[in-house]
Amino acid sequence: MNVVDVQELSFRYTPKQSPIINGVSFSIDEGSIVGILGPSGSGKSTLLRLIAGLEVPSAGRIAISGKVVVDPSTFVPPENRGVGMVFQDYALFPHLTVAENVEFGLHRLPKKSRVVRVGEMLELVHLTGFEKRYPHELSGGQQQRVALARALAPKPSILLMDEPFSNLDAELKSVIRSELREILQKANMTCLFVTHDQLDVEAICDSSLVL
Amino acid sequence: MYAKTILRNIKRNTNGWLVLSLIGAAVVLLPILSIFISVFQPPNENWQHIKQFLLMDYVLQSIWLVSFTGVFSVFIGVTLAWLVTAYQFPLKNFFRWALVLPLAIPPYIAAYTYSNMLSYTGIVQKTIREQFGITPNPHWFDVMSMEGAIFIFTMFLYPYVFMITKAFLEHQSASYIENARLLGRGSFTIFFRIVLPLSRPAIIGSLMLVIFEVLSDYGVTSYYGVQTISTAIFSTWFGMYDVESAVRLAAWLMCGVIGLFLLERILRRNRRFNASTSKARPLVPQRLYGVKAVLALLFCLVVLSLSFIIPILQLIVWATWSYQDVLTSDFVQLTLNTLSVALIATVLIMTCSLIVANVCRIQSNSFANLLSRLITAGYSLPGAIIAIGVLNLFIGSDHLLDRLYEQMGWGETPFMLSMTIVMIIVGYVVRFMATGYNAVEAGFDKMGTTYMNASRLLGYGITRTFIKVDLPLLKGALLSGAILTFVEIIKELPLALLLRPFNFETLATKTYQYASDERIFEASIPSLFIIAVSILSVLVFHRLGEK
Repeated sequence: MNVVDVQELSFRYTPKQSPIINGVSFSIDEGSIVGILGPSGSGKSTLLRLIAGLEVPSAGRIAISGKVVVDPSTFVPPENRGVGMVFQDYALFPHLTVAENVEFGLHRLPKKSRVVRVGEMLELVHLTGFEKRYPHELSGGQQQRVALARALAPKPSILLMDEPFSNLDAELKSVIRSELREILQKANMTCLFVTHDQLDVEAICDSSLVL
Repeated sequence: MYAKTILRNIKRNTNGWLVLSLIGAAVVLLPILSIFISVFQPPNENWQHIKQFLLMDYVLQSIWLVSFTGVFSVFIGVTLAWLVTAYQFPLKNFFRWALVLPLAIPPYIAAYTYSNMLSYTGIVQKTIREQFGITPNPHWFDVMSMEGAIFIFTMFLYPYVFMITKAFLEHQSASYIENARLLGRGSFTIFFRIVLPLSRPAIIGSLMLVIFEVLSDYGVTSYYGVQTISTAIFSTWFGMYDVESAVRLAAWLMCGVIGLFLLERILRRNRRFNASTSKARPLVPQRLYGVKAVLALLFCLVVLSLSFIIPILQLIVWATWSYQDVLTSDFVQLTLNTLSVALIATVLIMTCSLIVANVCRIQSNSFANLLSRLITAGYSLPGAIIAIGVLNLFIGSDHLLDRLYEQMGWGETPFMLSMTIVMIIVGYVVRFMATGYNAVEAGFDKMGTTYMNASRLLGYGITRTFIKVDLPLLKGALLSGAILTFVEIIKELPLALLLRPFNFETLATKTYQYASDERIFEASIPSLFIIAVSILSVLVFHRLGEK
């Protein structure tokens, strides 16, 4: 089944401007990892924000897990789309600890299962023992893994990642790449990620999309 | 666009937050609009008289006062700002923040302090008579005049110019000034060719603050007998009970203020210099030696003494003479009155600011832009205009309610909104919404939207995101905004004088009343109280500026 189905999607900031995204259509199979490639300014991040519900398209339709989330007469707000996202700067809440950050999206679970789930997620990203730390006490790579754990914790139907490797140095990058692939496969997660680096795509993606 | 898409977009943006914001905007706008609407009603006889014989005089005196105060405060403010940024001399680091302190003394308090210090029985003439045996001509010391008012406004409002220009010079100008020095230009040329033109936006912006303060003043001008439009609004309302004419005068004043706004826009157009390099270094000050260092020190010291040290010492001396008469249970009551009214208004302002700023941040379209402009409209309007607008509105609603009650058969005991403290609170909210709103907006700006987006993608709606993420991160901005707003409310005089219920006194109105009853020594106690609270806000404001 298609997890994400995008039809004739267009986006522009103001009606006068020429569209940043113009009539894009594609779909993503369950469990696959897809990279979006393209030069800067080609609307890669915007595409993710449209799927997440952070922007409204000027035309077109997006369906997630068979349910239409946006078309000319529908708009499902981001909190009800069941989409996970890892932001470029991670956006870890600075006033919450690692455990509280990961637990943040689990408010629909009972208290006991929340604790269990946080433990599982931190184990998945190899950060057991870091529960009580605050984001600023972690390295860049660790912060990214917390962001990943936080996004995966509520079991979204798809994970969106915006330039996940851009803030990491070259050495760390290759380690994290293979780690990411392993984590995503373990979690059987469908993932769509934006990059400007062809090597990222070759290393971890099943397929790619060029804007 | 199809109708169903428009419907979708309206539905997407409509929620409790928007509804509350619109209510907030209505509360702020209605008093201002009510002034506009009244202007289109036929004028009464009184107005003909005012227009024919008095208006011209009011306008001229206002312009006179504003122009001279503006010129002098720019001169003092910019010179001081340049001295403390470009040069190193003894006590400079002290002056950097101390020269802001005069802002803590409301001009009306300074006005009566000076007039009494310089009066026949005041300390200055008395000392000259008793120590030197000379009896000087009392006219030499007469400050109760236009010149005196200009002196007071200049000495107690120049810190706006000083503070804003200094911040600009310290953060933006280093590379230009150092380049000019390397190109062999002397400091005189640098000041006039580089510093003044570069800091024009900062100077004009701060000058506008000075002008708005002068235009809204009632305390200084009425005490010194200078007839401005603001004092005229008071005398038509209190002297003739003629609200209609007061509203018309307010409309005139509002035209002037809007004109000034347009002028500011034109003056600042295309003049928003931004540093061409993103990383601005602070300017390295040059050390002054010998006579030059002494002169710089003296200049700063004289200004600070006149505008802060001398009046404060004088007030403290008076306070020691009068505290037994003033510090009674009545004074406690009065202080509690002031604090509770200010607290209620501050809470309302901060709540409304949070709601509207959040809506504007989420929607970030032209509608949101307009909303944030409207909600802050009150700040640039003099207190007297807002007071008249609120008064007009409440008297109107009382008439409506009256009819309503009559129809319902409750006509016996009319419920008069205009007799309650609701009116003064609404006045404060309209006037000072911008102080709170700007602080909250700056806090939201600094925070960005990614935390909010992250929270929403983790399944929280706008309201829960606000409580769990935005609010804890916004604590600092919220607190400093609340302090600034609270203090502004405590200091405000004209609005409180016009809108307080019968027999309800605030610290500001009591100070004014003591002063106008010539009970100056008694006035010093509430004055010192207001100044102490204000120093707190000046320091908060200064710290915000340093960041």
